[in-house]
Amino acid sequence: MATLSHRRVGILDRSSVTTRSSETETDAGENRPPAVRLDDVSHEYRLAGGRFRSSTTRSLQALQDVSLDVQPGTIVGIKGPSGSGKSTLLHAVAGLLVPTSGTVSLLGIDLTELSDRRRARVRRRHVGIVFQGFHLLPSLSARANVALPLVGAGVGRTERRRRATELLDAVGLGERTAHLPGELSGGERQRVAIARALVTDPDVIVADEPTGELDTETGATVLELLTELGRNRAVLLASHDATTLSVADRVLSLHDGQVVERER
Amino acid sequence: MSDDGDRRGRFAGLVGLALTRLWKQATRTTSGRLVATVAGVALTVALLLLVTGIALALAGGGIETADDADVRIGPTEETVVASVDGVEGVRLGETNEHAAGIRSDPDVDHASPVLVESARLEPSDGGESRTVLLVGVVPDDEPRTVAGLSTARLEPGDPHYADGAYEGPRAEEIVLSETAAERFEGDPERLVRASDRSDREIGFDVAAVEATDEGHPVALVHLSELQSLAGTERDGLADRLLVWGNSDAATAAGEDRYPDATVQQTTATNPAALFDDELAFATSLIALVVGIGICASFITTTVGMTVEEDRRVLAVLEAIGFPAYSRLAVVGISTLATTLAGAVLGVGLGWLGILAVNRLVEATIAVAHPLFVPYAIGIALVAGLLAVPYPLVVAARTTVLDEVGR
Repeated sequence: MATLSHRRVGILDRSSVTTRSSETETDAGENRPPAVRLDDVSHEYRLAGGRFRSSTTRSLQALQDVSLDVQPGTIVGIKGPSGSGKSTLLHAVAGLLVPTSGTVSLLGIDLTELSDRRRARVRRRHVGIVFQGFHLLPSLSARANVALPLVGAGVGRTERRRRATELLDAVGLGERTAHLPGELSGGERQRVAIARALVTDPDVIVADEPTGELDTETGATVLELLTELGRNRAVLLASHDATTLSVADRVLSLHDGQVVERER
Repeated sequence: MSDDGDRRGRFAGLVGLALTRLWKQATRTTSGRLVATVAGVALTVALLLLVTGIALALAGGGIETADDADVRIGPTEETVVASVDGVEGVRLGETNEHAAGIRSDPDVDHASPVLVESARLEPSDGGESRTVLLVGVVPDDEPRTVAGLSTARLEPGDPHYADGAYEGPRAEEIVLSETAAERFEGDPERLVRASDRSDREIGFDVAAVEATDEGHPVALVHLSELQSLAGTERDGLADRLLVWGNSDAATAAGEDRYPDATVQQTTATNPAALFDDELAFATSLIALVVGIGICASFITTTVGMTVEEDRRVLAVLEAIGFPAYSRLAVVGISTLATTLAGAVLGVGLGWLGILAVNRLVEATIAVAHPLFVPYAIGIALVAGLLAVPYPLVVAARTTVLDEVGR
């Protein structure tokens, strides 16, 4: 813990808040849009009832009229039981799904209006995702996993390796850059995943149960890393663990897809 | 992140990603499926090459090529315009003189025209006449193989030729293939031309009976005696001219004497021969179609199953901002790279297979050719391209939320 708090993470320092976007260049200032804005977002999953078209389809209301603003430098916790809509909310913010109704804006860009390809580009440029199950590519080294988003961005190999190495060093894995995920502990894998989420210097980080598969001590280390490296970014953190949510500036409680409580 | 690189840089990154994944899978993580795909492609390609090699040997076979000459000189069919086509093959002229001239080259060991004529022969002591393919050659002191038979038992030289007068003494020797000898009853010692009503009986004493690989009813005799028999002595006609010695010198001498003829070194069988032999062409064509079919099916199945396993990886790529075409490019590149690896391995296996088969039967029943390398790789890539759509469809149907939500 102490080592992490003193670690130099210059590559990720965001002392001045600026948001960059080719879609909407926005200067820091009073008129700057929030990093994340959800307006009356509802989402319904359609569940096929059978093999045939004539079969009845059921629907599941995952989100219902959720509105939310998240400014840069803010950590918003999202809590709720399983099936309450936490992951759906994060997926909507990351542009992984388009909600049935409402708008999701990232730095003023309405994701619901974009094509799949442009949403992928916005996600690549502005969003870092940390999954509960790490989701590292098993046949790539830690460094190659971290550099992966830069491949999609067309960054050259030398630059990719440099940035990935710096980030792994920043998360305390400078000595394990060549290791495959299978050769790392759970905590180390999650740190690689955090480094991967940050390699494109995103404005928004979404973390879905980032400590869910870690023991208490390792989870605390990962959490500290996430909050430290996430400074000056908008962070949405879904968890049903009170300790994890304690780092949040605000906490939303979801139940059956609806916001039932806003804390702090 | 605004530093999106150019399209070429992105593609290079995708190629690097796909190849790195394959390499690490092969060497450090899950090699089973990859090995199965590569092995499947390799075995199919190897089998294809073996069958094609046999077809090529079949096309290049027959008594026309059953010799140990270093260079063959034959007439070029296309250069001859005949008023009556298909009656008789084109032949070389003045072959006796030209062969003598080529023999004078210090780098040439020997040169002999080869005339092939079918004739009906019968045992001199009575018996039924049979048709035999007579091959006229000019033997020298060294044993040579022509039409699958050795010239060792024929008297060196061609005394009847007598510098073009065709008045010299006849050697009257014949070397029969076993197949030819079996046509006559009771191992005759002398064969004469059937129904020879001339004053002087034209015949040959059987000098030897030899086994041949081809099994044709063929027999070797002295060239001038066959030319006299066939009536081609005036023009010194022969079907081809064989040269032994330094290949380059023999080729140069041949081209000098016959500028319009086909001068071919015999070290490699010409793949174009496949197109001249219907059976060989059909065999290689079937091998090609079946090879592509099996190869494509194998790649489709194994790579499709691999992609099925890789759904989570594809979902992660989507989640971190790889657009659909990038994800499909990774799958496509992986498929083609795997296929290519299998093809390269298959070329090696096919080559070894051809050597092994020839050694096993102690005869050349399959031949290899350098063109087999690009041929095999090309076939494998075609199969890979045919197989690519299925894994691409599997990849395209991957839903990110289903996978990352697990």
